[in-house]
Amino acid sequence: MPKYPAKTYEDINKDRIDVEFLRNKIKLKHLEAKKNFSEKYPYVEKFFREKGIDLAKIREHSAKLLGAGALTGALLLSPPTDGKTLPSPQEVVKALKERAEASPITQKLLVDSLAGILPEKTRSLTREEEKYLEQVFENVIGVKTKATLEGEHLNTTYGLIGAEQHLRRYPGDTLEQHGTGDVIKEGIAPGLGGWGYFAKSKNDLNERLEDTERWYAVVQTLYLPDWETRLSYLINWYKYRKVLIVNTVNGNAVVAAIADSGPAAWTGKHFGGSPEVMEYLGGKNYKKGPVVIFFVDDPENKVPLGPVDYNKINLSQSALIEI
Amino acid sequence: MSKLFFDHLIVWEEIDQEIKKVPLNREEKDELWKLLDEISANRILSSILDKLPLEHHEEFLDKFQKAPYDEGIFTYLKEKIGANIEELIKQEIGDLAYELLQDIKRKEN
Repeated sequence: MPKYPAKTYEDINKDRIDVEFLRNKIKLKHLEAKKNFSEKYPYVEKFFREKGIDLAKIREHSAKLLGAGALTGALLLSPPTDGKTLPSPQEVVKALKERAEASPITQKLLVDSLAGILPEKTRSLTREEEKYLEQVFENVIGVKTKATLEGEHLNTTYGLIGAEQHLRRYPGDTLEQHGTGDVIKEGIAPGLGGWGYFAKSKNDLNERLEDTERWYAVVQTLYLPDWETRLSYLINWYKYRKVLIVNTVNGNAVVAAIADSGPAAWTGKHFGGSPEVMEYLGGKNYKKGPVVIFFVDDPENKVPLGPVDYNKINLSQSALIEI
Repeated sequence: MSKLFFDHLIVWEEIDQEIKKVPLNREEKDELWKLLDEISANRILSSILDKLPLEHHEEFLDKFQKAPYDEGIFTYLKEKIGANIEELIKQEIGDLAYELLQDIKRKEN
């Protein structure tokens, strides 16, 4: 039965009931888990309190330690680069030029360069490793990037990306308006992106904002150690911030705009990509895979969103893999 | 990387899918995700401490607060506990996921 426009409040109320139901259930479970733990192990909270650490914020505490460790190279994890000494930026540029002359297949060159430095299992990269990759991306892909831009750094720059749904761009937006075929099979998120609607109305939606939703990325801003204390600054800084996403398995690269926060740590993933981003990175069935994400250093806003067509020659099958 | 040493054992795809069905805004989503994060951490720490002899609790907590991300903690735990602690945690996490799904999905019945 068609719904009268004046009765859309029924949908809104139902949505709020769903949200409140979920919140209440999870809050209750949280209280129960916390109470049980405190009663069973009262000395654990005391231990952390004496160290000045809030056990509820242990993830942020870990991020802080990892950030500091990456700077000094003093992580307790398996040694980065397996003890190899990384070349200087000048040496990287020289080596890339020599290798490009010997083998002009640039995407293959990128895949090989990444394989030479990245471990198979994703982990935090040291600043030295990130500097090396910045040189590789600039010289092979042609996009100037920074792992740390204007003092901001993601909690991780090498992790697993997962498929996200489309985001509503304006009130009344529907999945059908995002295209046809495979690109809409992921569906549309019932909630809004991290920064709400992209436009106030359909009339206000322009090509730039359409591209922002089409090529959007999701990063874990919620786990940044200073997210809550610097929220008013960071929320603006991250809004539609351009990032370069490189699939480390096949070298496919795309410039995307950050438009949502996530995924949750307990999903086993570290980043998310719009249906278009994911399809370009790994093909129609690509749901999850390792990527490197750096900020695009683009003060004049000249780098367009979307695929980075740096490969002028057909790739060998070994380099371009659909996952 | 924002990481705890047991993160790789938690992959709650189904819970993620359930939560994604609800129209949450960013603040609500962040809040729920953090609550779930805390619930899983409490349950995991509890299952570790249940198995670890009391005399090692302080040493373990010290290691954990100094490097919460260090998967090397598993080597220490295996040495002190003997049992395959990773499997025990997986079991605990699986049980918790089941309980959560029961709670979250109950409204659909």
